[in-house]
Amino acid sequence: MSPWTRLLIYLVAAPILGGLLAGWDRRITARMQSRQGPPILQPFYDVLKLWKKENVVVRRSQNYYIFFFLLFTVFTGGLFFAGADLLLVIFALTLAAIFFVLGAYKASSPYSFVGAERELIQMMAYEPMVLLTAIGMYMVTKSFHVHDIAGHGSLLIFALPGVFLGFLYTLEIKFRKSPFDLSCSHHAHQELVRGITTEFSGRSLAMIEIAHWYENVFLLAWVFLFFAAMPALGIVMSVAVFLFMIFVDNVFARLKWQAALKSAWAVTVVLGFGNILVLSLWSGKPAAPPAVVDAPSAPVMVETTTPKLAAQPLPATTTTDRRN
Amino acid sequence: MSRFAKSPWLIHYDASSCNGCDIEVLACLTPKFDVERLGVVNTGNPKHADIFLVTGAVNEQSREVIRNIYHQLPEPKVVVAVGVCASSGGIFAECYNIAGGVDGVIPVDVYVPGCAARPEAIIDGVVQALDVLERKQKEMTALANSLDKALFQRATKADAPEILALQKIAYQSEAEIYGEDSLPAQQQTLAELEADFESVPDMAKPFGWDGPLPVPVGPAQIVFLKAVVNGKIIGSVRGYQLGDTVCLRRLSVHPYFWRRGIGRQLVRELEAAFPAAKRFEIFTGRESSRSLGHFRKLGYQEFATTQFNPKVTWVYMQKDRA
Repeated sequence: MSPWTRLLIYLVAAPILGGLLAGWDRRITARMQSRQGPPILQPFYDVLKLWKKENVVVRRSQNYYIFFFLLFTVFTGGLFFAGADLLLVIFALTLAAIFFVLGAYKASSPYSFVGAERELIQMMAYEPMVLLTAIGMYMVTKSFHVHDIAGHGSLLIFALPGVFLGFLYTLEIKFRKSPFDLSCSHHAHQELVRGITTEFSGRSLAMIEIAHWYENVFLLAWVFLFFAAMPALGIVMSVAVFLFMIFVDNVFARLKWQAALKSAWAVTVVLGFGNILVLSLWSGKPAAPPAVVDAPSAPVMVETTTPKLAAQPLPATTTTDRRN
Repeated sequence: MSRFAKSPWLIHYDASSCNGCDIEVLACLTPKFDVERLGVVNTGNPKHADIFLVTGAVNEQSREVIRNIYHQLPEPKVVVAVGVCASSGGIFAECYNIAGGVDGVIPVDVYVPGCAARPEAIIDGVVQALDVLERKQKEMTALANSLDKALFQRATKADAPEILALQKIAYQSEAEIYGEDSLPAQQQTLAELEADFESVPDMAKPFGWDGPLPVPVGPAQIVFLKAVVNGKIIGSVRGYQLGDTVCLRRLSVHPYFWRRGIGRQLVRELEAAFPAAKRFEIFTGRESSRSLGHFRKLGYQEFATTQFNPKVTWVYMQKDRA
């Protein structure tokens, strides 16, 4: 499939898939709370309704920011599906989120402000891990291009288990799910009114919803990238991750922002940075060019060599300590 | 069912309820009733809501809050009064601090009886509200689609309440610039507006007019115009002729219909209604760049300013008949 076809499919199918996922999410959540829940198509009904509603604004310009939020979110996913540079994808994603925050700041309202500030804190929390994910993928595949990463023969999850877990942690933030639904929540917690989306109504709110659909599909596609060598497994894992998000959402209460930030960074350092450290130690010795690496053998190599290398220096140091 | 009926989002406000009805409203969200299966979301945010549920009678403190929330709901919107207290004041109706039911403050579309209202009754009320919501939505689109059929007519005293409501909506943006209590257009009462049909009010004095105002004046000297679409007044303006000068006052257009030529057409119609006049004069606030630009486009030019109050400075603009 050419990049343009993939891009086109993403542009058309992502909102449909994202909306269905959102509807499914609400349904499963309802079932977990022993309710019947809304129809699967409910998110579409909501967005169609919002599109027809009056758009009440504090300042007219706030809507332009939301338009750019949607535009750059679509652009981010578009880059990803076209197989472009993963770093560029991350920066576009950050830019999109910044537009959202600016829109909320523009609508000078205290609730909107608190939501925007919390969104910034959340960005601080997830951004390092997202970058480390890209770096980890680069270290395994020797390319930042999504196209090359997806075409890499090995299952990245074996080389990057820590990065994957850290990425799951940030996904919980990006999906605005419960321990981290600080800036705005889809549930009936109302202490911040509606956080970052408080001042948006009508068409702008619909755009925010659609942007989230695009974003969610893009993020799940990133999960798929960890399993790209086995597409069927990748799809199963993406769905499993999504279900896991819903499960966590329903099980946990909301964290304070301090706890969210500290835990996200702890996860980044321990899982993300630790994983990359191990990778770099391991990849320092065998300087085999990545293109030559045979597809099925790569995961096996990772499995066998990492524990050895990590274990080898340790006995030496312990013995010297004992002598002293 | 239309898209509106499938996704009603609620906001619930407790005016001064005993919490009986509130608990029943929340009971609707529980697994037993689960209104989310109808697409209902209980938002805490008026700007996201379609249906405004009010419980309890209105007291002097909650009156302003209710009005405020109501104005923050985007159109189309429906108000449901839940329980007898919200419907009529209930057993508190005669209390010294109670202003009565919710319909004393904002228009109510659906009344849900009961003390406390049962969850089934509340759900039924919401379902009835959906029909109202749909009807209002159709009216909105009908209005928007028939703009080219706007009629420009003389207003009569019977139109005064509707014009007053329109004026207050239209001047909302001005109130945001200058503050709520500094604009005469926002403060006008119905009696004062009715008087504007018969006599020349103070605000209609041309710039520099020292003498007393001629009261009463002939009907030819007062022209009160309205713009009507589908039977609804969406714009109005009044003109008063004193000598050769005509003062245009209180040009108001409903915010839905801004930038669509309604205001321009109203001014032109008004100018045509005074064939004997040689000069037209208006004033507007100095910070109101939108209306300043609007009148400049219509050929008016600034010639004087006066300080009206600490917040507001009027800019006078004039135009000679070509």
